Amino acid sequence: MRDWNAYVRAHLALPGFTPTRQARIVRELADQLEDFHREGIARGLTEAESDAFARRQIGDWDRLAQDVWLADRRHARPRLERAALRLEDAAPARSKGFMMLANLLHDARFAVRQYASTPGFTLVALLTLALGIGANTAIFSVVDGVLLRPLPYPEPERLVLVNEIVPQYGSFSVAPANFLDWRRQNTSFERIATFTSSSATLIEGDTPERVVNATVSWDLFDLLRVRPVLGRTFAAGEDAPMKNQVVILSHGMWQRRFGGDPGIVGRQLSLNGTPYEVIGVMPAGFTFPSRDVEYWVPIALDTAQPTRGGHYLAVIARLKEGVALQQARAEMKTIAERLAIEHPDTNRDESAEIIALHDAAVGRVRPALLTLLAAVGVVVLIACANMANLLLVRGSGRGREIAIRTALGAGRRRIALQMLAESVVLAVAGGALGLLLAYLAIPTIQTLGTDSVPRVQDVAIDGRVLAFTLVLCLVTGIVFGVVPAWQASRASVSDVMKEGGRSSTGSGGRWLRNALVTAEVALSLVLLVGASLLLRSFDRLTQVDPGFRAEGVLSFRVSLPPTAYPEDAHRQAFFGQLLERLRALPGVMASGMIQSLPIRGDYVLSFTVQGRPTQPGKDPSANYRVVSPGSFEALGIPVRLGRAFTDRDAAGGPLVAMVDEAFVRRHFPGEDPIGRGIDIGNGTDGFYEIVGVVGDVRYGGLDARANPTMYVPYEQDVFSTMWVVTRTAGNPRDLQGPVRGVVKDLDRGLPAYQMSALSDIVSNSLAERRFSMFLLGLFALVALFLSAVGLYGVISYSVSQRTQEIGLRLAIGAPRGHLLGMVIGQGMRLVVTGIIVGLAGAVALARSVSSLLFEVTPFDPPSYAATALVLVSVAALACYVPARRATRVDPIVALRCE
Amino acid sequence: MMIFSAELKKGSTEMLILSLLEGRARHGYEIGKLIEQRSGGKLKFALPSLYPRLLHLESRGWIKGRWVEKPGERHRCYYRLTAEGRRVLAQQRRTWKAYIAAVNEVMGTGDA
Repeated sequence: MRDWNAYVRAHLALPGFTPTRQARIVRELADQLEDFHREGIARGLTEAESDAFARRQIGDWDRLAQDVWLADRRHARPRLERAALRLEDAAPARSKGFMMLANLLHDARFAVRQYASTPGFTLVALLTLALGIGANTAIFSVVDGVLLRPLPYPEPERLVLVNEIVPQYGSFSVAPANFLDWRRQNTSFERIATFTSSSATLIEGDTPERVVNATVSWDLFDLLRVRPVLGRTFAAGEDAPMKNQVVILSHGMWQRRFGGDPGIVGRQLSLNGTPYEVIGVMPAGFTFPSRDVEYWVPIALDTAQPTRGGHYLAVIARLKEGVALQQARAEMKTIAERLAIEHPDTNRDESAEIIALHDAAVGRVRPALLTLLAAVGVVVLIACANMANLLLVRGSGRGREIAIRTALGAGRRRIALQMLAESVVLAVAGGALGLLLAYLAIPTIQTLGTDSVPRVQDVAIDGRVLAFTLVLCLVTGIVFGVVPAWQASRASVSDVMKEGGRSSTGSGGRWLRNALVTAEVALSLVLLVGASLLLRSFDRLTQVDPGFRAEGVLSFRVSLPPTAYPEDAHRQAFFGQLLERLRALPGVMASGMIQSLPIRGDYVLSFTVQGRPTQPGKDPSANYRVVSPGSFEALGIPVRLGRAFTDRDAAGGPLVAMVDEAFVRRHFPGEDPIGRGIDIGNGTDGFYEIVGVVGDVRYGGLDARANPTMYVPYEQDVFSTMWVVTRTAGNPRDLQGPVRGVVKDLDRGLPAYQMSALSDIVSNSLAERRFSMFLLGLFALVALFLSAVGLYGVISYSVSQRTQEIGLRLAIGAPRGHLLGMVIGQGMRLVVTGIIVGLAGAVALARSVSSLLFEVTPFDPPSYAATALVLVSVAALACYVPARRATRVDPIVALRCE
Repeated sequence: MMIFSAELKKGSTEMLILSLLEGRARHGYEIGKLIEQRSGGKLKFALPSLYPRLLHLESRGWIKGRWVEKPGERHRCYYRLTAEGRRVLAQQRRTWKAYIAAVNEVMGTGDA
């Protein structure tokens, strides 16, 4: 005879029951099956027939397991819950909180079983939640790492930057004399220090390398309150000229170039051909003022005769304990205004401003990041609406189960809490998936943001981000669960006990589902409009004529150290040879030099026009570029009038200049500029004669206006660092090797650095916009996808509910095309309502992205129209699929269901 | 033969079980068979629907299962009525009788 115990155990799954309880249920069922088997034998059946008779007694084991669970779940609870139940029996009032916890645990277990039994629903739900919560986690981690987390110095909130305010340009670098006066006169700061960034050629072994460094006043590290891991920081007086031959290394440079040599302190390094002694190494993770700085040297300020006219210092200060930013601001303003009166020649109308260091570091990207944060907030709202809808539909399919629970004595509150627990379980599971998505996405976001988002490399999923995600999961679960829970708890027992009864398909339920879908469509539209505005801005930007042709141009920098090239003549000789050799390379069409590349910012000087006297301090100013012959050709800047510079425009020859059309429009409107004189050196050099006019170039960036620009031949104003631009017929990247060879041939100790295709530089200048556009676009697509899923779900459900009606319509001869239109029309009514609401919302919100736009108004009609069109098309598709299914309903089958 | 709907049966199962346990303790198979016999085969409860009812009644504290070994029989689970179960049964009987009387009253009047 069969071992009925084993038979039952093999068929009946009783997870969640205690082992003792499981054993009892199994044994009892086995006993009864054995009774049936004996009954068969007693009736004269064979052994095999009796066995089959007994086995037939239980057909649907899953159903039995479910019924056993429902009937006996008090015994299915873990020990803790049973204890809670006993407590409840003893003193219901006192153990309320405990009860709730115990119930919650039980509900969670029940929820997991429920979801496991409906994999399709669970998959859609998890995907929806993972997208919604994952996007939020990723963006929050960026916002947290970039905007929220304090700077990595002790008491960072007291650190500020101090700028000068110059009437012509606004916020400006600080002149050394002003800095020294500020340091003497202020009472708000504990310390005030200065720094500038530069780069130097480091020769260690064979290959010269260009490394970025910061030149700082001696007390900068004390101000930041950072101690070295090795050696010491600068001492007072080491920032005086001739005493500043000491260097502090970054941890990275110490590790990379010196293998973490513990005996590095005291070693000599050759920087720009000058020996420096290593006195210290900073700790890992310390970066200032930027991540790429590899070492620090003291600044050599001439304190005896400091300049007040040259502005090139950055100034940082630490507020005294208890001094508010406002107080410090007021004091610095007073000091600067006093200096303006004392030194009218240089400081007329100047002032000073204070910015919190954190704002200065990341303030620029705040609007973009906050916009993205708002966008993912909208995505998660859409996900919530979708989930609420899915649960509503599912809840109506669960009428029977809820009815049984109600019949078994579960109160409304209990049912509602159970539904909520289910949605929270789902949200937490979806959130875990979302966390994984975010973890995978962060490296991509970092790559995308490298050139545009400061501190983006510090972004990581840490405790704070995890806490955020957890809270978001709970809130999300409650938000999308509350409506279905309320619906379920309202169901009346008598309604649902009726065969085929449904608990939440009434007109209230339909109204809710429609409202949710409409809201989803509206929210998606807002996001899509935002994304398309950015997209159109970006498109406009890439269409902008920058005034030069970047394609086919290789650019790099060469910096001549003053030790090896002390005189102008040495530099001219080197640069002259370099250009000559470069032009001789195969494939090179033109080669020239310019002291600062287009796109990378203006370099502004004041000047006067010959024959036009101005008041002191009221001189006009313009962008200034020093160029070699061949540079206009290499950069593709057209000469509009007169001539370009030639080799005859050399040092000692007549001073000549070229200007651009914007300059002519501003300063010689309706006049012939050729032959006119401009004094660029403020009276020191004499007048430069304008010999030619070139086209406008956007030096300040693609999104900046082309400012009036003056050009001077490089031999007449020799810079030691120049950008070399070389135009080739082929791929400029192929030119890198030969170009490095040429530079090395001329001077083995000279690196050609920051070498890249000019088109990459132009492209990188759009990195920040690309970052926001790409992410916002991505989120808008996610939103669109989720809304389409939501719409599809609602229409599908409605079709399934109306099967009989549709069947009846078909039976009485309604054409199928008509039915298709009816179903699609039903969906499109929701979509159109959503679009109208969304358009209103978008108009209201568009202004908030206006700082990210370029030559596109926040109310750009094509963006709105295109977005609405896309949404309508996707929505139509989402409705079409279930509508088609409706037309395939077999009227006979549909009616038989009744 | 008269077929009773599932709904009708569902409502009365618990009462039937309780009343069968009033005189003596019985095991599950026996309860099912007794219902079938006493109703002359009109009421039949399959094992999968009867057994969860037993568990449910037990979990509400109206009946209590206990493993008993009787001479010449297997060790098996016998259910007996608890004091609470007895009280509930009395109440259900009253309600049922009142309900039947009311229904008869209505139907009798309707026939006349």
